[in-house]
Amino acid sequence: MNLEPALEAFFAEADELLTRMEESLLQLESEPDNNELINDIFRAAHTIKGTAGVFGFDDVVHFTHEVESVLDRVRDGQMIVSNDVIGLLLRNKDHIGVLVHAMADKRELDAAQRAEGDAQMAALLALLGKQPDQPSASAVVSAPAGVSRSEAAIEDSCENGNWHLSIRFGADVLRSGMDPTSFLRYLRTLGDIVHLDTLVDALPSWLEFDPESCYLGFEIDFRSEASKAEIEGVFEFVRDESVLHIIPPYSQVSEYISVLRALPEDDMKLGEMLVLSGALTRSELERGLSLQSGAAAAATGGTDTEAPATSQQIGEILIEGGAVSAGVVDAALAKQKQVKDTKAQEARSLRIDADKLDQLIELVGELVVASAGVQNVAQMLAQGQLTEASEVLTRLVEEVRDRALSLRMVQIGATFQRFQRVVRDVSRELGKDIELQVSGGETDLDKTVVERIGDPLMHLIRNSMDHGIETTDVRLAAGKPARAKVMLNAYHEAGGVVIDVADDGGGLNRDKILRKAIERGLVAEDVQLSEREIDRLIFAPGFSTADQISNLSGRGVGMDVVRRDIEALRGTVDIETEPGKGTRIRIRLPLTLAIIDGFRVGIDKASFVLPVDMIVECVELAGSIRDAARTRGYLDMRGEVLPLLWLREAFDMDSSAPERRENVVVVQFGQTKAGIVVDQLMGEHQTVIRPLGKLFSALRGVSGSTILGSGEIALILDVAGLMKMAGSAGATAAGITEMQGQTSRHAAAPA
Amino acid sequence: MAKTIMVVDDSSSLRQVVSIALKSAGYDVFEACDGKDALAKLTGQKVHLVVSDVNMPNMDGITFVKEMRKLPAYKFTPVIMLTTENQESKKAEGQAAGAKAWMVKPFKPDQMLMAVSKLCLP
Repeated sequence: MNLEPALEAFFAEADELLTRMEESLLQLESEPDNNELINDIFRAAHTIKGTAGVFGFDDVVHFTHEVESVLDRVRDGQMIVSNDVIGLLLRNKDHIGVLVHAMADKRELDAAQRAEGDAQMAALLALLGKQPDQPSASAVVSAPAGVSRSEAAIEDSCENGNWHLSIRFGADVLRSGMDPTSFLRYLRTLGDIVHLDTLVDALPSWLEFDPESCYLGFEIDFRSEASKAEIEGVFEFVRDESVLHIIPPYSQVSEYISVLRALPEDDMKLGEMLVLSGALTRSELERGLSLQSGAAAAATGGTDTEAPATSQQIGEILIEGGAVSAGVVDAALAKQKQVKDTKAQEARSLRIDADKLDQLIELVGELVVASAGVQNVAQMLAQGQLTEASEVLTRLVEEVRDRALSLRMVQIGATFQRFQRVVRDVSRELGKDIELQVSGGETDLDKTVVERIGDPLMHLIRNSMDHGIETTDVRLAAGKPARAKVMLNAYHEAGGVVIDVADDGGGLNRDKILRKAIERGLVAEDVQLSEREIDRLIFAPGFSTADQISNLSGRGVGMDVVRRDIEALRGTVDIETEPGKGTRIRIRLPLTLAIIDGFRVGIDKASFVLPVDMIVECVELAGSIRDAARTRGYLDMRGEVLPLLWLREAFDMDSSAPERRENVVVVQFGQTKAGIVVDQLMGEHQTVIRPLGKLFSALRGVSGSTILGSGEIALILDVAGLMKMAGSAGATAAGITEMQGQTSRHAAAPA
Repeated sequence: MAKTIMVVDDSSSLRQVVSIALKSAGYDVFEACDGKDALAKLTGQKVHLVVSDVNMPNMDGITFVKEMRKLPAYKFTPVIMLTTENQESKKAEGQAAGAKAWMVKPFKPDQMLMAVSKLCLP
């Protein structure tokens, strides 16, 4: 915009005002009590200052401001109008004229003029009782209007992808010419109002209704890149009489939290940490601290304000006052604790080379094997004292084994935390509002497992966000909250660890999956599949339902890679889905990769080991039941169909089955059960897992080997792999390998 | 149709600056040089916003707002008062009179436009 014509007018006007100011000042000499004259002089200075500022003539503003301050005191009767003061003001008026003309001519003041200005300024400041080197009040003048209040803003916060604004307008806003909707309209220039609820609970009955009063409030979900100060500024004109809470979006909170985490490892007070992170303002902290010391003084009778363990208390005070959210305070406390713990641990803990640890574990493995050998010998010799001694030894060895393995255990929390950032970034990329809820971070897992589970988890989370969670519109239409959740949870269960990746998205679209699987040739067109079988198709190699390939998931690496990664860790993966409600993927992992409690079974002279964790029970297979099972391929287990796998046949072993009876080991993994038919049951066995050589990497149904106490070698059975092997013999889909698949096949068409 | 804003200030140059800024943003603007003049110019036409100085000869801004609020057509018209930072007591008085929005002088034209659009987008 061109301000040139207005500039001309300003210079003319300034001359006029200065002339009037001079006349009034001269008149004031004879009538020092004439308030009207003082007002005139003040108004002249005031107008010049105000207008000069609009044009950016800061020198004029700066100088005139002090003149105005003196005039203000004269007007308020705080200063007597002596001849000296009038003399100074007249000189001031002249100097303002000099400044304005300098601006008009676009030139600098000369040295004499500048010296005169400085002298007058010093005299003005002396009159006002200010030190010349003090930052003058003109600093305030140049501060932009409207943002000055942001310092004192309430730093509420909640875990939300959008800003949340809660505003309740004062009853008088309409009467003071403010239209609540005008602020909402202006708000939309800063971002998008994602959702708006109008609060009408304050509406009185129509008898008491005053049409000129405002009874409305709004709860607004607001998506914006604007800062909190900018958003607050929207309501600056109604801020005082309204109740306004601005809750920063989750990302903002997570930024506070990530700043907190990145703070140096120094001992710091909680309040200071919060201020440094930006979650709390200095003034809020001071207010909180004074509340706290007030409370402490009251509690101790005013003798001691330095209460111990102040951090918890100040945290509580700040949360109660709505200054910060509990999440941010928790993060700060966690950081504080971490600093303390690190400090404490520096004294107590020892860094050990990972290789040394691995050597130790290996030796412990040998020890376990050797101890099994001793036990073996003791049993054979059947000598009381030896048996007793070997049992003590075995117990101690088991304890040493557990302790040694626990050295390798690390918490999964660090891996989980990594995903917070991923979810934040990806949800922005996708334009969805998604939060990650993490629990069970303290669950311990073998270091190797923790290191290698990261990638599959990342893929599952991204998959959930990309395919599982619907767009905000769809969610709202389905009556779900706009903000979606991805949940990551870890916990111990039956000697293993379970990690759940769940979302509250749309669930799997089974029709689409089946169609795609048929299209890809993964299943035959006429095949009848159970819902679970269809769900599991997503783990089939080369399967993807993405309508279009995004750069997140759908990069060709499908869920089958996830499944293989997990199986490589001797884990299993399962899926539960409910259309419209969400999907849960459950990963079961062994606690450790090195040593397990095994259960030995025998076929003829060969030994095999099954992980005890997977065994539900063992049953004898003999007589007519055996014959029936043989022909049908399944066993009637207390009314439940238990599919059977004859290990001898699965491994193509030459020997023939024993005459009288066989044994069924009922195994369970995931939600499925099956029976493995073997010759003999040989009891529990401490199993040190030895990987099979590279040569055998293609071998299925066997996951490793172990050395028995006798020095013999036993193969460790890979139950999941066995099922797959059995399944592939007659199965239609590579993806359906679970025994329930077998169940339905056997049930439908008995062999 | 463009929104109409009345600018009241005894300084013609300030009126001009404000008018230029507002017009460039797409508002219709008319001016008054003090409270009395402003009241005389309020003849029932639609005015979407008033920007008024406080300290003016003849009739000051606060008296003007009080008087304006008595006119049914302008009872709910939003007002932005222009003031200097050392008039806190005036501000309280003005707010009581029904002028809640205050802008501290001096201001940059952009700041004023922002304040105006909070109350009334062009």
